[in-house]
Amino acid sequence: MKWLLKRGWMYAAMLAVSAFALFPIYWVVITSLKPRSEIYTRTPDLWPSDPQWDQYPRVLGEGHVGRALLNSLIVASGTMVICLLVSAGAAYVLARYRVRITRILLILVLMTQMFPLVVLVIPLFVTMRKAGLLGTYWSLIITYLAFSVPLAIWVMRGFVLSIPDELEHAARIDGATRIGAMWRVVLPLAAPGLAVTAVLSFLEGWKEFLLALTFINDEDRKTVPLVLQSFVGRGDTDWGAVMATSVLYTLPVAVVFVLARKHLMTARTAGAVKG
Amino acid sequence: MSSAPAAVPAGRSKRAPRPPAMAIARRAVNRLTLPVLLLLPSLIIIAGLVGYPLVRTIYLSFTDTGLGDLIYGTSEWVGLENFKEVFTDEHLRTSLVNTVVFGTACVIGTMIFGFAVALLLNQRLKGNLLFGIAVLLPWAVPALAASAIWKWLFDARYGFVNWAMVNLGFDGFQDYAWFADRESAYVAIFITVVWQSFPFVALSLLAGLQTIPKETLQAAAVDGANAFQRFRLVTLPLLRPIVAVLVIFSTIWDFKIFDQIYVMAAGVPDRSADTAAVAAYREGFALSHYGLGSAVAVVLFLILLAFALIYVRLVGKEGEFS
Repeated sequence: MKWLLKRGWMYAAMLAVSAFALFPIYWVVITSLKPRSEIYTRTPDLWPSDPQWDQYPRVLGEGHVGRALLNSLIVASGTMVICLLVSAGAAYVLARYRVRITRILLILVLMTQMFPLVVLVIPLFVTMRKAGLLGTYWSLIITYLAFSVPLAIWVMRGFVLSIPDELEHAARIDGATRIGAMWRVVLPLAAPGLAVTAVLSFLEGWKEFLLALTFINDEDRKTVPLVLQSFVGRGDTDWGAVMATSVLYTLPVAVVFVLARKHLMTARTAGAVKG
Repeated sequence: MSSAPAAVPAGRSKRAPRPPAMAIARRAVNRLTLPVLLLLPSLIIIAGLVGYPLVRTIYLSFTDTGLGDLIYGTSEWVGLENFKEVFTDEHLRTSLVNTVVFGTACVIGTMIFGFAVALLLNQRLKGNLLFGIAVLLPWAVPALAASAIWKWLFDARYGFVNWAMVNLGFDGFQDYAWFADRESAYVAIFITVVWQSFPFVALSLLAGLQTIPKETLQAAAVDGANAFQRFRLVTLPLLRPIVAVLVIFSTIWDFKIFDQIYVMAAGVPDRSADTAAVAAYREGFALSHYGLGSAVAVVLFLILLAFALIYVRLVGKEGEFS
């Protein structure tokens, strides 16, 4: 009886926490499936009486959301590719060469991750304007490197550290050059780390809002966060459209998180990951 | 590894023996070429996209830069005028106070709730895997989507929160406008931020809890410590390093919070719920007071820099840099 009382209390807490975590997500999904009359009512149904999918083709077509998803995909992919190419080498060096200067660089890398973007945005805006890049994908891809590269270096360095030095030494004794050892020994072993870093740097680009808000005006170049913001900012918000957009925007991230949750925690211990 | 040193003229290599100093220098160049080449792209990016803008913003914060000045570089040095204004202007000063008070509240709320959830996850109840996934999911929701979702839940007329409150017997929540004043807007945004941030804290602490040997806790139990004493005297001290890092992380994230405030607090009268990051942004890009906006950003930066330095010290102690 005492056991039941104690455990029962814990199960109740578990259910309450799950409800807090999941209910908003559930509510978004069902709101996106409700017809207008069931959204704008003072007595909302907890279950859509007649789920309708037409909200989705509507936002994808009319609301620029389809275009925005494509824009976000392009920007996030571009950020991911360049970020990986640039930071892999640096992560390797900062893991393998342990001297004073690399330690200082490492601290610098770590600290840049913590800077508020708002302290960088005005000069970045001027630079992009002078370069004639305002309103382009490149303005976002380039500036997103400012925070994705430090993050990627820090996370990947953790993975390189977990690969024993001896393997590389062995390869080099067998006649491989340092680059050869990197390419044939370190790279294959670091593949999971590269994958996690790829996902994380993609998400950085997928989620970013402040710089996109500053650089992008053209309706055709807006990323998803900008479209969501312009929906919510209006007086007569079309909540059905907002919810359908939120579902489309979040779904890929949620799938990746659930599939890669173990790796995400490994990456977390190596560096910082923030939603 | 044949790139740079090959630049030594061919004629010279026949001249033997080479002075040893040259050989040592050559070998040093040889050894340094690869790491420098690998580091260079990242360093250029960090210097160009973080270092330069940071220095530039600090410079701007001492000038009266307006819209035209920004492009053509015609602004005047005004010394500490902007910083004086940051601390005397009602709106800007409020935004700094908001940042510290609201940010601290979010950190405390996230840490307490996250810790409770971590302890619960560590009980390994039936259904723990599903519970873990449920806890993980809010973390996956991008800030802009989370802001939109919670703004809808807190909608005055059709929102779920007001409907539930009225049904629970609190009639005062009929059509209650959460975003009509600063305090209630902050309640809504606080819940949004905690909802998004607790998974990270809970899962990190769970990882920490799982490293505590069962024997240690059993030994304490044998010695007569009750559950609360075991938590306070064994678990908590062992988790202190992780807790410290999480508090610093949360503080940095919650103090520089932008997206949620920009979207959710936009309708609050007099923009009284703006935090420093939003105020700095608006001062610059909405009002074209780039100098003043930079000053607000620099103040925020200095506050965060203090926390970042503490963090670096903590990580350094754990031997991460060695």
